[in-house]
Amino acid sequence: MKFKRLVERIALTRPGDFLRRNLGPTVLLIFLLTFPLWEGSVSGPVHIKFLERMRLVGIYTIVAVGLNLLLGYAGQVSLGHGAFMGIGAYASSLLALRAHVPVYLTILMAMLVAVLISLIISPILRLRGHYLAMATLGFAIISFVVLREMTWLTKGNEGLMGIPKLSLPGVEVRTMGGEYYFIWIIAFLILIFSRNLVNSRLGRALKALHHSEVAAETMGINTSWYKIKIFALSAAYAGLAGALFAHIHSFINPGIFQLNLSIILLVMVVLGGMASIWGSIAGATVVVFLPKVLEAIPYWFGNKSLTQWFSNNYSNLEPMIFGIVLILVMIFMPSGLTRGLSDFFRYRRSPFVNPLKRGSGI
Amino acid sequence: MINFAQGEFAVFGGLLTYTFSCVLHIPILLAAVIAIICTAIIGALMERLFIYPLRNAQIINVIIATIGVSILLKALARLFWPEEAYKVPEFTSSSLTFLGVTQRSQTLWVFGLTLIAVMLTYIFFNHTRVGKGMKACSINREAASLVGINISNMSLYSFSLSAALGGAAGLINAPYASYGSGLFLGVKGFTSAVVGGLGNTFGAIFGGLLVGLIEELIAGFLQVVFGISSGYRDAITALILIVVLLLRPQGIFGRREGVKV
Repeated sequence: MKFKRLVERIALTRPGDFLRRNLGPTVLLIFLLTFPLWEGSVSGPVHIKFLERMRLVGIYTIVAVGLNLLLGYAGQVSLGHGAFMGIGAYASSLLALRAHVPVYLTILMAMLVAVLISLIISPILRLRGHYLAMATLGFAIISFVVLREMTWLTKGNEGLMGIPKLSLPGVEVRTMGGEYYFIWIIAFLILIFSRNLVNSRLGRALKALHHSEVAAETMGINTSWYKIKIFALSAAYAGLAGALFAHIHSFINPGIFQLNLSIILLVMVVLGGMASIWGSIAGATVVVFLPKVLEAIPYWFGNKSLTQWFSNNYSNLEPMIFGIVLILVMIFMPSGLTRGLSDFFRYRRSPFVNPLKRGSGI
Repeated sequence: MINFAQGEFAVFGGLLTYTFSCVLHIPILLAAVIAIICTAIIGALMERLFIYPLRNAQIINVIIATIGVSILLKALARLFWPEEAYKVPEFTSSSLTFLGVTQRSQTLWVFGLTLIAVMLTYIFFNHTRVGKGMKACSINREAASLVGINISNMSLYSFSLSAALGGAAGLINAPYASYGSGLFLGVKGFTSAVVGGLGNTFGAIFGGLLVGLIEELIAGFLQVVFGISSGYRDAITALILIVVLLLRPQGIFGRREGVKV
């Protein structure tokens, strides 16, 4: 029945309508599809390797979307998503290395493992606010320690080496461009899926429980079940992203998936804009490219001594500027980059005003 | 509110004491006091510059801002003290024998200073005007401001105070101070506070003792009986945190309170 109606709807829609309604995603899709064709001419002059970095943006976008569903829509803070990425990365690469399972299957299995673990720890979703944040932080520490100490399986701090490249049945993805398309096709599908999810029954239930759990429950929403569902879904995204990460880098160790990663993921969501699916891309882009742009700036001026000084002090300057940017965005654009800028263009409202008031949710 | 920069204050406490006593050759106790005052000033600055402008924002934004501050402070610490670890001198370098047990006198200092700090905090929160005002603020901001408590000052004081205490913890506790140790200190501190019951000053001591003891005992037990490496030690604190949060969110000694809707 549902399918038939869907077919009718598609048959009735004129292409113009479809385009008008999905202008943003279409433009994004065209941009992403053509990006590898022209990025070479840009990345040379500005000294940033765009294609290499864009693969990472895609991976982080996948996690950030999941975390955004959890944090922005359902209002549940998680500092454990870096750990889920680690679990996904280790599950996928161990299966590929030790059991010689083809990579396209190990990625799916990694998602499954992440979901299973998220279901095991789901009782912590009973906690609220900071308590939930601290409990997930505890989970992140535990999983980091376990990955480090289970040396017989994970080789501890040494890490896993020689992880096979991404592959589809019969084809191995070898080039950077191939990896780019592989990752972004998955990321784009996930973005579309999440957007539709948000506008579905589940999405409305999540928004309701974000606002008030008690009110949502009196309306007949099974809040704890919905929270578990969305937690498992975002864990699956994180596991998928972790697996992709492992297969494009071919080396992982527990240090990559430390607490810092979880914090960075949270930063991406809030920077891009909470409760905004497309904001996740913006957040991931800023976090991935900001350090690289900082690194490249001295080259733009072509000053030899400046470049030298900068690269000597880079390890200090980068976190300092990152911290300052983070604080400034929080102060001046509390609703995130996408929301702040789109409000500015759409309503001529200053991006420095927070449309969300204190006291809604966490 | 969670302050992610709390661990960084401890780091600054330790590193500043090192600078004052070893580089500027100020007597160690005086150096410690100056270091604590300095961390309190850093805390106050942080509140005025970064937290005060966010007073009307959502909590999550404030938390992210404290993450930003923590990243910034860590980078600053690394800029000024670039080496991996610094040895903070002990207060008095002798050892005491009591009932056949020999201890470094530093241990006694740790006990004594912790007790003094906790006593002072207790007195502050229960017997002074500012302390009581702060407590009222943490229970209900609007109500507190209605009875004439200056909320923005309270926020400033509480940041300075927690920075000072964090700094004190850093300089008393760590024989070594380095820029990287902030986050784990913060997690341990939070675990102790949760185990003792949040908002319960004396509970925090027992919480701290209990967490430390359980961690040592379990790690030792696992190592001796099952031969599991002591690297799992860090996970034990986190496990205690999760278990206590799930089973007794009001702390070991706290009473269960009803949740208001």
